[in-house]
Order: sequence, then structure tokens, then C-alpha cells
Amino acid sequence: MASHGLAYDGCNFFRQRLVLSTLSGKRVKIKNIRSKDDNPGLRDFEASLIRLLDKVTNGSRIEINQTGTVLFYQPGLLFGGSVEHDCNLQRSVGYYLEALLMLAPFMKTSLKATLRGVTNDPTDPTVDMLKSTALPLMKKFGIDGEGFDLKVVKRGMAPGGGGEVVFTCPVRRTIRPVQLTDPAKIKRIRGVAYSVRVSPQMANRIVESARAVLNQFIPDIYIYTDHMKGANSGKSPGFGLTLVAETLNGSFLSAEMSSTPQGQGDPMLPEDLGRNCAKLLLEEVHRGGCVDSSNQSLALLLMTLGQQDVSKVLLGPLSPYTIEFLRHIRDFFQLMFKIEVQKPSEDERKGGDKVLMTGVGVGYSNINKTIK
Amino acid sequence: TMKKQTASESEEEEEEQGGLRWKEGLQQKASEAFLRQQKAAPNLRKLVYGSVVEADDSDDEEQELGGLFRVSRPQNSKKSQANGVDSSRFDPDASHNWDLEEMLNSIRDCFVTGKWEEDQD
Repeated sequence: MASHGLAYDGCNFFRQRLVLSTLSGKRVKIKNIRSKDDNPGLRDFEASLIRLLDKVTNGSRIEINQTGTVLFYQPGLLFGGSVEHDCNLQRSVGYYLEALLMLAPFMKTSLKATLRGVTNDPTDPTVDMLKSTALPLMKKFGIDGEGFDLKVVKRGMAPGGGGEVVFTCPVRRTIRPVQLTDPAKIKRIRGVAYSVRVSPQMANRIVESARAVLNQFIPDIYIYTDHMKGANSGKSPGFGLTLVAETLNGSFLSAEMSSTPQGQGDPMLPEDLGRNCAKLLLEEVHRGGCVDSSNQSLALLLMTLGQQDVSKVLLGPLSPYTIEFLRHIRDFFQLMFKIEVQKPSEDERKGGDKVLMTGVGVGYSNINKTIK
Repeated sequence: TMKKQTASESEEEEEEQGGLRWKEGLQQKASEAFLRQQKAAPNLRKLVYGSVVEADDSDDEEQELGGLFRVSRPQNSKKSQANGVDSSRFDPDASHNWDLEEMLNSIRDCFVTGKWEEDQD
């Protein structure tokens, strides 16, 4: 087994394994991919992700068996540069972008990725959410500068897609350790209510119902309405809402909801969507911490790859995805975090138990980066 | 007095021996205590990384019938999770009803409009 690097079963946590393999340089073999399914093997969206990885790296070796149930991946060097990719429509751009966010700071040359496909769907974090939460989080680790941006050029709802985003990220040699132990209080709530190929009135109806819930807590709420038209509106109709709560020291908690994709179940009223999304944000506030639940693994990765110093981050309850990510970090980087539960005191009304993650970075330095 | 002396001597000896005896297998005792603690106090670290005392879970999947056919059991939960949907979304706790005043009150101090700690005013 040692000669084959690490071995896993099944297609779940596919991105974690490939991303960590690429960063650590360890080979990975994934077996039994949907081997008992009526339609066995890798799906088109997974193949699309592999192709994207192949574009941003140099010299990767990928072997897939005939039925697609076994994948062998030997990572090459992270190259970066200008990349264009048509993301398979089975998953939204967020699925691909989550992997790119983890790899982008460690490329040889800074990345400019143009991704086309579905920008908003109910399964993955949307591009709007990643823009408003993942990017500010990465800035705390020292990844910032002029060329750090995620721009939504065209919006494309599921299932037709037709959206386009441009992600640019500078490269870093080392990652700064962080101490994010106090989330501080929420000072304002911002959001984007978007609609394409439906009446622009939909977005206004969403805003009104979401405000009704959130106004019970705080007056400073502003939800932008974003109605893209013509060539920028993609191929399918739909609408949705992304809400972000910002705290006094710049932590972001977010929640979002997209309308049911056309022809995939019961349609949703914009009022219901606004109200339910606002409640999801309350749930996220209840979970709390300095990082919202969908970015936990990104924060833990950057802690792992930091300089050899202690990093601390306060999180809400660990999501199942994060728990698996921690196990993968142990496999690829031999790092185990110290995990302490913090219970809120009795007279505090700050939601549920929090989890304090402490770890010493492995002192990863970007050997791909060219020295100027 | 001789008797007494011998008695006390032997006592001393015993004590000494006892005193030495507690040192025996110190490492084993410590490791036992550690494992006991690991078993008793379930913590997050154990949930995430598994415990040291992890039972041998080498499931005998390679069960064969008559050395020819392999038993293909229906997918158990672990297996179906292995091929689950790869998404970072964390589904909300279904037991939380955000229409209840009680629930809303549980997070009031997370906002600037809530109560402040004395040292932070």
C-alpha cells in the first residue's frame, strides 16, 4: 500500500482527497466508486473536476479503470496562470471553486480562472456566498492584495447554467498563523437577492420577507437586489437569496437559499424563500464561531499549511464534512488538532456550544512560487 | 524485645516491599488508566480521530460461499456514506424551531443590540 500512497473507498469527499493529495504531493488511489450502483463509476462532474485539476497543474498523472470505479492520481506541480473551464452542469461552479480556493494561493504563477456553468443551485455554496465569506476569511491568513477577487460576470441558474465567474488569486510563499477566538457581536446584515428570467419583483418580495424576520434583532440590514438581464441572465429562470451577518471584528456568517431548479420538484414562493433563508441565518448565528459552517474546512486547511506556529480558531459545531476533512488532514499532513468544547455560560444568550480548534502549522512553503 | 524488633523489622521490610511493589508495572497501570479515561469520557477528539482502544474493526467482508461466490450484502450505512454526495453544506438542526420566541432569545446577545459584557462596553 505504501507504494500506492493513500487509498480510499467511495466517491464521497472526492475533492478533499484530490486537493490534499495535490498540496502534499502524496499519491492517492480511490476504489469502489459507486461500484454497487446501477450506474457505476465516476460521474461527469467528477471527470470535469479532474480536468480542471489537470489544467492548473503540470505533470499530473491520472489513471481511471474501464468502468470508472477506480481512480489513481499522482499530483504534479501547481502551475496556475490563466485557465478557462466549462464546469459540468451537474454541479454548480461553487463545487469546483471550493477546490480552487484551497489550491490557488500555492500556485507557481497567480491564478486567473474563468469558470462557466451553473452559478447558483441548492446543493453547493453559491458564488455569491463564497465571494462574501471565503474571500474575507482567506484575507485573515494573509492572502490578499489587488489581484484577489471573485467576480460574477453572468448568472446562470440550474439546470441550464450559462453563468460565468472570474476568480483571480495572488500566490503566497507562506501562510500567516491566526488567532480567531472571539467572533464579537454582529453589527450588520447584508445580502443579495437575485433573480434571472423571472419578474424583477421576485427579488423585492424576497427582501421584504427576510427583513421581517431579521428586524427583530438588528436595524442595520441592507439586501441588494440583483436582476441580471439578456446575455447575462443564463439559460434557466430562478431566484435566490444570500445573507451575510458581519461582526465587529470582521467575521462573517452566512446562509443562503436558491429556488428549486426548473422541472425538479415543487416551485417555491419568494416569500417562503426569504423567510426560510432568514431562519437559516439565525441557525448559523446559533452555531456561531468565527467561521461559518461551510468554510470550516478552508480555515482548517490554512491553519494546517501555516508557518510553524500555533493557530487558534473558534468554530461552531463541526459539520460531518469537516470531521472527515480533519481525518484527511491527519492522513496527508500528520497533523491532529486539539479540539475543545466551549459551553456558553448560563446568563449568556449566544447560541449553542462552540469548538476551539488549536493546531501548529506544518510550516508549508510554496515551492512552486517563482522567486523574483 | 527481640521479638518486637523482628516483628517491626519484618513490618518495615514488608513496607519496603510494598513501597517497591507500587512501582511495579507503573507504565502498564498508567496506560490502563489512560485507556479507562478515554473510554469513560467521550470527547470530540475521540469522535473525530477515533480512540486508542479502538476495537479491531476488520470486518470480514471477504466472506465466501463454498470458496466460489462472494456474499454481496445490501449496502450498510458506512458503505452508502462512502458514496454519498460530496457537499460542504451543513444541514440545520431540525429540532430548532425559529418561530418560537424562546429560540430567538437564545441568540440575542450575538448582536450589538444584545447585552454586553461589563468589560466591553
